[in-house]
Amino acid sequence: MLPTATHCPYCALQCAMELTAPDASAEKVGAPVTVSGRDFPTSRGGLCQKGWTSAQVLRTPDRLTTPLLRGTDGDLHPATWDEALDLVATRLIALREAHGPAAVAVFGGGGLTNEKAYALGKFARVVLRTPNIDYNGRFCMASAAAGANRAFGIDRGLPFPLADLGSAQAVLLLGSNLAETMPPSSVHLAGARAAGGLVVVDPRHSPTAALTDGGAGVHLQPIPGTDLVVLLALLHVLWAEDLIDASYLAARTHGADEVRRSVAAWWPERAEQVTGVPADAMRGTARLLAAASPTHGGSGAYVLTGRGVEQSTQGTATVTAAINLALALGLPGRRGSGYGAVTGQGNGQGGREHGQKSDQLPGYRRIDDPAARAHVARVWGIDPDSLPGPGLPAVELLHRCGTPDGPRALLVHGSNLVVSAPNSDSVRARLAALDLLVVCDIVPSETAMLADVVLPVTQWAEEDGTTTSLEGRVLRRRKALEPPDGVRSELEVLNALAARLGVTRGFPTDPAEVFDELARASAGGVADYGGLSHERLDADTDGLFWPCPAPRTGEPPHPGTPRLFLERFPTPDGRARMVAVDHHGPADDLRADAPVYLVTGRVLQHYQSGAQTRRVPALAAAQPDPYVELHPLLADRIDVEDGALVEVTSARGTAVVVAHVTARTRQDVVFMPFHWSGSGSANRLTTDATDPISGMPEFKVCAVDVRRAAPDGQVVRRCT
Amino acid sequence: MHVVVIGHGMVGSRFVDELVSRTEDASVTVLGAEHHEPYNRVLLSELVAGRIGATSLTLPAPANRQVTVHRGVAGVEVDRHARTVTASDARVLAYDVLVLATGARARIPDITGLDPLPAHVHPLRTVDDAHAIVAAARTGTRAVVIGAGVLGLEVACGLAERSLEVTLVHGGPHLMDRQLDADAARAVEHGLQHLGIAVRVGQRPREVVASADGVSGVLLPDGEHLATDLLVLSTGTVPETDLAARAGLAVGRGIVVGPDGATSDPAVFAIGDCAQPPEGGTGLIAQGWDQARRLAAMLADPSSLPGLTPNQVGTDVVRLKAHGLEVVTMGISGSAVASPGAHRAVRLSDPATGRHVEVVVAAGVVVGATCVGASTVAADLTAAYTLQTPVPSDPAQLLLRPVRGAGTEVEPSVTLMPDRATICRCNGVTKGEVSARWTQGARTVEEIALTTRATTGCGGCTDAVCGLLEWLAKSTDPPEPEAEPSGAMARRAQATSSLPMRTLQTSGPSSR
Repeated sequence: MLPTATHCPYCALQCAMELTAPDASAEKVGAPVTVSGRDFPTSRGGLCQKGWTSAQVLRTPDRLTTPLLRGTDGDLHPATWDEALDLVATRLIALREAHGPAAVAVFGGGGLTNEKAYALGKFARVVLRTPNIDYNGRFCMASAAAGANRAFGIDRGLPFPLADLGSAQAVLLLGSNLAETMPPSSVHLAGARAAGGLVVVDPRHSPTAALTDGGAGVHLQPIPGTDLVVLLALLHVLWAEDLIDASYLAARTHGADEVRRSVAAWWPERAEQVTGVPADAMRGTARLLAAASPTHGGSGAYVLTGRGVEQSTQGTATVTAAINLALALGLPGRRGSGYGAVTGQGNGQGGREHGQKSDQLPGYRRIDDPAARAHVARVWGIDPDSLPGPGLPAVELLHRCGTPDGPRALLVHGSNLVVSAPNSDSVRARLAALDLLVVCDIVPSETAMLADVVLPVTQWAEEDGTTTSLEGRVLRRRKALEPPDGVRSELEVLNALAARLGVTRGFPTDPAEVFDELARASAGGVADYGGLSHERLDADTDGLFWPCPAPRTGEPPHPGTPRLFLERFPTPDGRARMVAVDHHGPADDLRADAPVYLVTGRVLQHYQSGAQTRRVPALAAAQPDPYVELHPLLADRIDVEDGALVEVTSARGTAVVVAHVTARTRQDVVFMPFHWSGSGSANRLTTDATDPISGMPEFKVCAVDVRRAAPDGQVVRRCT
Repeated sequence: MHVVVIGHGMVGSRFVDELVSRTEDASVTVLGAEHHEPYNRVLLSELVAGRIGATSLTLPAPANRQVTVHRGVAGVEVDRHARTVTASDARVLAYDVLVLATGARARIPDITGLDPLPAHVHPLRTVDDAHAIVAAARTGTRAVVIGAGVLGLEVACGLAERSLEVTLVHGGPHLMDRQLDADAARAVEHGLQHLGIAVRVGQRPREVVASADGVSGVLLPDGEHLATDLLVLSTGTVPETDLAARAGLAVGRGIVVGPDGATSDPAVFAIGDCAQPPEGGTGLIAQGWDQARRLAAMLADPSSLPGLTPNQVGTDVVRLKAHGLEVVTMGISGSAVASPGAHRAVRLSDPATGRHVEVVVAAGVVVGATCVGASTVAADLTAAYTLQTPVPSDPAQLLLRPVRGAGTEVEPSVTLMPDRATICRCNGVTKGEVSARWTQGARTVEEIALTTRATTGCGGCTDAVCGLLEWLAKSTDPPEPEAEPSGAMARRAQATSSLPMRTLQTSGPSSR
């Protein structure tokens, strides 16, 4: 078979790859689908171990190929598609009649293609007529989105091509471990490293922080939950030492005066007391960034945020402070400099633009904006007044599942939320209280196994579609092989359910056709895809950056917009808004019986809840089990050796995991990766306290106790 | 509720911010004696040092309709029966709640020649003082600083940074004697010498000599005459209690208040440097801000008081801000360490290099520390103290920060590196796999990449693979398999893979 040019199924870097499916005869004897790297501006032909082995998920032995229904015996049993769809439709109609349309909720995912995310949002609003649709992007991108929207009037993770980083003299990475989470991207840090200008802010000496070793830059290791204060101190130093770009602030921003005053209270020595980062290290960092900025003749600087600072009850504030820092240095909207958020999930960018967010309609339109409602209703051929209003954000939605005034049914697409949601034991209990849980999945994930109805769906290489990468570049994912028998695409599922619920038009099953409608629905919106189509994207092998509006008659096609803000910010007055923010600290802070901070994150070999990567033998062998990283001094205090079992306990639960003793973490911090379910699941411990603006949960910091566990799980000794 | 606040300094302005962010039911009138907007007084020594610009001191202005500020207007009289305040502009303000945040003034020592203050003699309490010192420092070449507390040291260092010839004169037995013991002070003295600052301790000046042009010298008890162009007085502060005393409120060193900040009149409160709380005033801004926060919370919601105990741990960290001199103390320090108590003190004293670190531990947590000339250790100790995290089994571990790579974890050479050591993290390729491909004939990075995918992720391991290939080429014999590694090196090598002992039941799909 001819190779198919596509992109990796995992993270937002969307590394380019070629898939070659075996021909029919080889297929019969189980020949594998082969993967090779493909040259591309972002990944430059590189793939990490997950990408190289990604095709193995296509042939995973426990692939779901038939619908499953939970029987009266409590077990899941195979069923026909008609049986399963009829049952779902009947139950949904009954629940809607008994409890109203809001009783049916939808939970989407940042891994869904643009087409599926769009169709899912439309299905919720038009067919189910429920306001309650949100998605797991609320767990990863909501704070960055809220901060960027407030400051710039737009939220495109990187408002510039990733490769632009290469020419920068300094790159400040806040809470991003991209050397592990999207390894091929770190090639773009080479320039900053050569200039000694890579600054990594992370409580751990992560593989990304290690890129600063040997004079390549600076690693600041703050107490978890205090990154905001590091930023406030950096801002303080910029003003105190007159390193700001005053003419840029005057011409392109407003609110700088309030920010200057607000950071007057955060001199570095005070910040040191809160963050644990030496005052002079913060001064040095501020000077390093200033020297790299254009106003001081540097070759450019970037400020980038990741989940480490965003998954916090002050995530939006922290993103705002990072943006303030970038603005004070005069970076955004200048070629070779800028601010960006490093998007996490494969389609984490596109997934937040096309209407699976509780407050949003396609094109990144607000659902409470009458003009937006009118436009989208016109495209959908419905009365604007029939569109529901804003629904509950993800954590709140899950909290209310199965409660008297909450959703009675939940449809889950592209999310293994019982592993990935915070305080997961309580989420499990909420799902159990539902009248109906329907999960579309490719494998028997932990969430699928809780469902009343499981619908087996196609995966990445078995269907066509598009994703939008961390840069806002719209990419084509192409079908490389036929799905297994018995599997349907989610577009087919939505079409069939819509028909059973009385909507027989408007849910095409051809992804290109869905995309064309998405383009029309997004036209004129913030994320304008109006000038894009599968056909056009197929002709342009490097993809195109949104906004890419439809041309007026007689004009050439819009070339897309690789770099935003060069002329103005898309705010009413064209200026970026600086907003003063302050520090409050974690919701679940240290106390005598929980004297250690827990931070969570990823390892290179696994992706999100691990539903895919734990099924790839090479990845599972490399990282088979959940573990906790703890500092040698902490290990010594609680009398734990490397490799021993420890109990990690928060106010919400206990996890039993293997101890990895390493000086990479602070003495007051332990780290757990979150890719596993069961007794070692990190999210049994995390708090579901959320950011007041973004609704994003505070995955990245909570208070725990760590104790040695006996092999049988008994505590052998209390720590003091 | 109408609240009148007298004093618009760091604590008064913070109180107003905290109050209006918590409740819309309060209207607030603020009297500020200074003509300036509220500013960060803590940073005045930085201004003197020329390290920062004056505009960066300005604190947030109340952007709130609930708040009226009268700048350059002092409170002159309080009528507690009528609940009114008369201001210096003759305005009379009625209040339901009166908050005194009048701060403190510089103490002028009782030394011959200082009454009245000659020209070029300044305390450092206000931004006007700071500007006057800077102006004098621009024309002069010599400066004397009297008082070697935190502020005196900061000013001395700041003037030295401006290339003045500085002498620091201190009447106490040693430098910073409120916070430090003699050994720690010796380490500080070493640091000052390094900065070219002369020190005279145990010397209370006999006379300040001045002419009509201003100060010319300071005469010490031992007869030494220090010629100078500028004299800075940093001999402590006196709480501004006059208004409170005239109003008949209980006044000691400061305005006497209870744990809730209330004075002897329950409608009148005092916070910041003018107040004398039960635990004693520290003169540190953290204490004043903590009082402002608690009072605002209580006024906004009276039921919240029981949970709002003074936050003593963390508000008594003293941190010198001076270029080239690192001094941090917290909790039990200096002479208090020697006094009987159930604590344990461990110290590393190395005054000859300007370093002195002491940690005081009780009940498994840090209750005090002194750090001179050890900034990263100081940052860690401050975190341990303010967060009250458990100390290591051996508190001595807190006194030194290990140099990365020191200790038993040595960088393995290619020869000693075990076959299981990961070379390419992105693709999990080990030394053993690269060696195996070499044995099979692969000789270039490209050939290795083709079969192992090493270097095809981020490319960061390209140098390592090249080095390994060179080493393999140099080895005349094919590399022999290494013995099974053990200990720290093995763990290091296993950074991305798993030791056999790390096996748990792999958690597969669970069912309901």
